[in-house]
Amino acid sequence: MIALQKKATLFKKIREFFDAQGLTEVQTPSLLNTPTTDVYIDSIAVVTNKEIGQKTHKYLHTSPELEMKKLLSQGSGDIYQICQVFRDNEIGERNFNEFTLLEYYRLDFDIYQLMSDISALLRHLGIHDEVVKMSYAQAFNQFGKIDILNTDFESLKRIALTHDLNIDFEWIEDLQMLLFVHLVEPCLKDLPVCFIYDYPSEQSALARVDGKIAHRFELYLSGVEVGNGYDELQSAKSYQQVFARENAKRQQINKPSFELDLEFLACLEKPLPKCSGVAIGIERLASQLFAT
Amino acid sequence: MANYSTSQFKNGMKLMLDGNPCSIVNNEIVKPGKGQAFNRVKFKDLITGKSLIKTFKSGESLESADVMELDMQYLYNDGSVWNFMDTESFEQHAIDDSSMDDARGYLVEQDMCTVVLWNNNPISVTPPIHVMLEVVDTDPGLKGDSAGTGGKPATMNTGVVVQVPLFIGIGEVIKVDTRTNEYAGRS
Repeated sequence: MIALQKKATLFKKIREFFDAQGLTEVQTPSLLNTPTTDVYIDSIAVVTNKEIGQKTHKYLHTSPELEMKKLLSQGSGDIYQICQVFRDNEIGERNFNEFTLLEYYRLDFDIYQLMSDISALLRHLGIHDEVVKMSYAQAFNQFGKIDILNTDFESLKRIALTHDLNIDFEWIEDLQMLLFVHLVEPCLKDLPVCFIYDYPSEQSALARVDGKIAHRFELYLSGVEVGNGYDELQSAKSYQQVFARENAKRQQINKPSFELDLEFLACLEKPLPKCSGVAIGIERLASQLFAT
Repeated sequence: MANYSTSQFKNGMKLMLDGNPCSIVNNEIVKPGKGQAFNRVKFKDLITGKSLIKTFKSGESLESADVMELDMQYLYNDGSVWNFMDTESFEQHAIDDSSMDDARGYLVEQDMCTVVLWNNNPISVTPPIHVMLEVVDTDPGLKGDSAGTGGKPATMNTGVVVQVPLFIGIGEVIKVDTRTNEYAGRS
């Protein structure tokens, strides 16, 4: 089967899986008024309507997350979307300026239920390998002998030095990530399907925080990060806090900071229902799925 | 020497790492979904031959290593140093016994070898893939066992021990694969 057909079959099977469970496929705008505030994700800016005297700055979406959450807050119920997304400053063997995301949300699911649901999706797609689930702390303990949830920034720097790693970081989460990439990820290569869950609160992103832990997970297929999911924040206030914090961090490392997405925050006057959601990179999934 | 940043890294590039010249075997860009980009790089230390993995913040840079690979002819060994000649410049290089590693078991006078120079000093020698060596000691072969049941050890004129078929006797010249130390046929 040629690659084009394989990819088409993959899309068909994904839709089959979600349609059978009654999710609604949605399409949200990819040309947005506000760029992402995510510290390490850059939106691609475009200028529209210049020739007709109505010059407007727009941004290609880096993920359909916020637009889909607007739908969720308006009562859409379980939804999924498959779309192209765009990110600036990403080039590599597995990083591109444009790629395909599958993003879906399940109402009343926590991350454990969502991880089980993704495992079922992977089986439906033909991945029958054993599914390993490991907390972030377990993974660090097993592969790096580090008690990651109870190690402060200074102590972590000392540990990084023993591994000959750069310790020039502004925030502990960046050093946690470096150590994860250096010590843990290479060990995940031997595991065909692995979920890492319950991240340190410093890496909460848009996930619900419970003490030292953020209810967030990532899906790794043979050591390659393929998906990222959250037990989603619900209130406008909690999102506003995250956006403001990310903007402050962007300023600290001399990256442009942006106006908060007021449209989104206004929409969340009606808070998000309790739900969990995940974004899965389709090309990375396909390359693992069709690897010989 | 020039500095190279992670965005310029490519396989085979020779860089200085902790004071030793190293060669890039593999360079992987890893960008966590919610984090900054890193380069996870596999190096081979050109002096010790060991491989090691380092992870850098993307944008970090390393100093390049002044490393050259030259084809040279092996001349002779005077007991403490091994002498080679660059067949183009006719320049002669003496390589310390300690830098020879496994190569010393496969050097036949006048064979062409690859010599790696760092700051103009030789740091390693790679013999040709196949060399012809003479068997100087081995047990007599057993008649009627020519099907080969794993063979027997034989000591070569260079000192290296190679597993050979049972029919090979003392005084025979055999072809040896220097990458695997395996018997590769008779002359």
